[in-house]
Amino acid sequence: MATAASRSFTLTIGQRRLGAKLIGAVLSLAFVLVFNFFLFRVLPGDPAKNLTRNRLVPAEQVQVLRESFGLDKPLPQQFATYVRDTLSGDLGISYKFRRPVSEVIAERIWPTVLLLGLSTLLSTAIGLWVGIRGAWQRGSVFDRLSLGASLALYAMPEFWLGILLLIAFGVGVGSFPGMFPTGGMSSPDTDMTSWAGVVDVARHLFLPCLTLTLAYIAEYALVMRSSLLDELGEEYLTTARAKGLRDALVLRRHAVPNALLPTTTLIFLNLGFVVSGAITIETVYSWPGLGLLSYEALRTPDYPLLEGVFLLFSAAVILANVLADLLYAYLDPRVRAG
Amino acid sequence: MGATSSAGGNGRTRGIGRLRRASVLVVLVALLALLAAPSVTAQEQQPAGKLTFTVGIINDVDSLNPFIGILAETYEVWALMYDYLVGYSQKDFSPVPGLAESWQVSDDGLTWTYKIRQGVRWSDGQPVTARDAAYTFSRIIKGTFEQTNYGNYVANIKTVTAPDDTTLVMTTKKPSPSMLRLAVPILPEHIWKNIDEKKVATFDNEKDAVGSGSFKLEERSTGQFVRLSANKSYWGGAPKIDEVVYRVFNNTDAMIQALKKGEIDFADGLDPAPFNSLKNTEGVTALAGDYSGFDELAFNTGAALDSGEPIGDGHPALKDKRVRQAIAHAVDKQVLVQRVLGGYGTPATGIIPALYKDLTFQPGDGEAYNFDLAEANRLLDAAGYKDTDGDKIREMPDGSRPLRFRLFARQESNTSQQSIQFMQGWLRDIGIATDVKVVEENRLTEIIGQGEFDMFEWGWVVEPDPDYQLSTFTCGSRSYKSGGEVTANLSDSFYCNPAYDKLYEQQKVTIDPAKRAEIVKQMQRMLYVDAPYVVTFYYDELQAYRSDRYAGFQAQPDPGGVALFQYGTYSYRNINTPQAAAASADEGGGVPLVPIAAGVAVIGAAGVLVALRRRSTRDERE
Repeated sequence: MATAASRSFTLTIGQRRLGAKLIGAVLSLAFVLVFNFFLFRVLPGDPAKNLTRNRLVPAEQVQVLRESFGLDKPLPQQFATYVRDTLSGDLGISYKFRRPVSEVIAERIWPTVLLLGLSTLLSTAIGLWVGIRGAWQRGSVFDRLSLGASLALYAMPEFWLGILLLIAFGVGVGSFPGMFPTGGMSSPDTDMTSWAGVVDVARHLFLPCLTLTLAYIAEYALVMRSSLLDELGEEYLTTARAKGLRDALVLRRHAVPNALLPTTTLIFLNLGFVVSGAITIETVYSWPGLGLLSYEALRTPDYPLLEGVFLLFSAAVILANVLADLLYAYLDPRVRAG
Repeated sequence: MGATSSAGGNGRTRGIGRLRRASVLVVLVALLALLAAPSVTAQEQQPAGKLTFTVGIINDVDSLNPFIGILAETYEVWALMYDYLVGYSQKDFSPVPGLAESWQVSDDGLTWTYKIRQGVRWSDGQPVTARDAAYTFSRIIKGTFEQTNYGNYVANIKTVTAPDDTTLVMTTKKPSPSMLRLAVPILPEHIWKNIDEKKVATFDNEKDAVGSGSFKLEERSTGQFVRLSANKSYWGGAPKIDEVVYRVFNNTDAMIQALKKGEIDFADGLDPAPFNSLKNTEGVTALAGDYSGFDELAFNTGAALDSGEPIGDGHPALKDKRVRQAIAHAVDKQVLVQRVLGGYGTPATGIIPALYKDLTFQPGDGEAYNFDLAEANRLLDAAGYKDTDGDKIREMPDGSRPLRFRLFARQESNTSQQSIQFMQGWLRDIGIATDVKVVEENRLTEIIGQGEFDMFEWGWVVEPDPDYQLSTFTCGSRSYKSGGEVTANLSDSFYCNPAYDKLYEQQKVTIDPAKRAEIVKQMQRMLYVDAPYVVTFYYDELQAYRSDRYAGFQAQPDPGGVALFQYGTYSYRNINTPQAAAASADEGGGVPLVPIAAGVAVIGAAGVLVALRRRSTRDERE
């Protein structure tokens, strides 16, 4: 009886927490929606003028263009239209590409998710493994090597690492041939639905994914290692050992779950940025993702595209935060109780 | 018991773990091999059946719809996809037959009759007729959105008719030489009539695009590439290659690496340092081509609206042309060319670059602003701008304020930032202080439009028709008021001279090229003397290509010009494998740039070797 009652009570707390989180998320999103509109209009440059720059376009024609963008209307009216359209799912037409923003974004979102998703997965798995093993065998050859490598990789600018790998494996050094393409995501004249198309994309994916994975592994390994080392000094581990548990079990059942908390935060923080892309890596490897799209949009400035892209970025970060909160409650009983 | 079973289990998992690790390794290696394998073969073999010419570009094509796109890369693709009425000659940009094989102008200069080629077909098989051309021009004249890109070309056209399939007649409001410079791609009526004014603003023109040019659009992948295939029945001769691919790179370093590796065949827009490194790369030819761009130091000569109402806060000293002339003596153009451009350019004179031989302006003896700081100081002293308080900065003749100027450079351009560093030093030597500001181009455009500057460094790229460039100095090109706000127009020096405007109107209606050239030079002399700009240099365009894969590139202007990104498609239609190009060179085909260069290099190297050997033997003898 008593247990059943308390269980239903925790569920209610859980639901209330979830509700509060969701409301918070929606409010954040609403704030971003409003903020985006004004943020980009502070940027220097008139889109209509920039799109006609260095060409003999009569003033009346620039005005026509401005009107077609709705930029001739007073700001409050522009804002009302923007909010109404966005809420009804219409992100508008890109000034620069002259196509619906949702279409332009849709084209660019998959490359980014593919690249960032895969490298996050790989770097998490490998980074955690390296960190755990290093901490457990602290001072061993493995630990010293992996710590040295992690520190070196962590300190290395991504751009530089990317260019090095590109030259080594993309172009080739000396008699060592360049095995991978120097950029892009697929080759012209390839059927993307065929097996050859898949292999082609995988070949293009290899170097950028390797660079990002290496760059992230270091971070995860270092955080995992230090938080596990913190746990290793705790007395409950001595208790566990005293119970007669083998080292591997002590590690797996007791130490790692507790040490995972800071790493989870980090992973989810990074996960939120998966969509905004690793703009540096997209630049090095000419990867046609969202990071670059937002850079291109900034140059015009292409208000509808910028608003759409940043709304998506913000939504991703907010969603990742909500997920992290929920997962935290699952991982850490203290959070659940509080 | 629990302990043993756990140990046993552990032993098992360990064994499996090792096995698994080994198998994972094998799979990984196999995957790697699979991924790496195709590239090794692809790189070695130039597919026997298909010649694909790959060009690296830094900006992605914005839109393939000729009414939307604005980037240079996009214009290059349209030039392959479409025909124009009249082209630009390879030698000197003079008008040459395009889709119009000939033309006539009436005695009053108002009626132009173009004879359209017979037997030309659209890529979907329909015949190209004068009606398509008439449709294209009428659509722009009647349209509103359509005017954004081409309104400038049709502003003077009154009527357009196609009395039959091979005759196009256009009448103009005033006589105009621009009727041979209509850079409007001719579009197929049967396709575009279905895309109305509303649809055209968002039409991407990517799928099954129909054109009549030397290449046909096959495929476009946003952010990645554009692929075109050769039109083997092109009226101007079948291209010898089969495909052109433009591949988008997001950074120049990667593009250069791709050229070194051979993934791309052509790279454009290089900086001097990587360009020099490519000179020593085997199989690559680096080409510094004469280009139609110049850079300038511009002055705020007295910002005002087109109505004459003053705006901004420019320094009063720069309204005095004697100050500007003194500064013109204090800019060492030769040093800028050597130190900023790495030698890849020439010191400039007028606003029409030297490669337009008929139009460019050369100052006469005693007219030129030679670099001479003493002369600059003397001119400023004579004009009454003296340093009265001993702080090494001159003051206005009435002593009211020092000659301290805001000098702007562009964040996007190294050239701009390096140039103003030199200028700052020279100006200091003639008693002028500068506050250097580096800002984004977008921001600078606004600052200039409001007249809130004293000097800036920027540049222009000049078309073969000088009209546009000349127009940037007319009174009417100054900023204007729109909805109560000051809006920038083309003029960025706010130069306004009725005598200049009169000549501008005159050249606009002078059809005879020689007579027009005289007026154009006269206008440039006026600008040279009044010095709203100090035009610093004409820069070269730095390009590089795989000469081990392709030969037969055509320079424009010939000789000395660029090999790609020209006014025309000469190289695309003529390049071939080096073997095939060498074979056809005897027939007087392309300009054998490569064989000549190689020959000179071999002879030169042999000479050096012989000289070295002689010297060494002599040394040994002594």
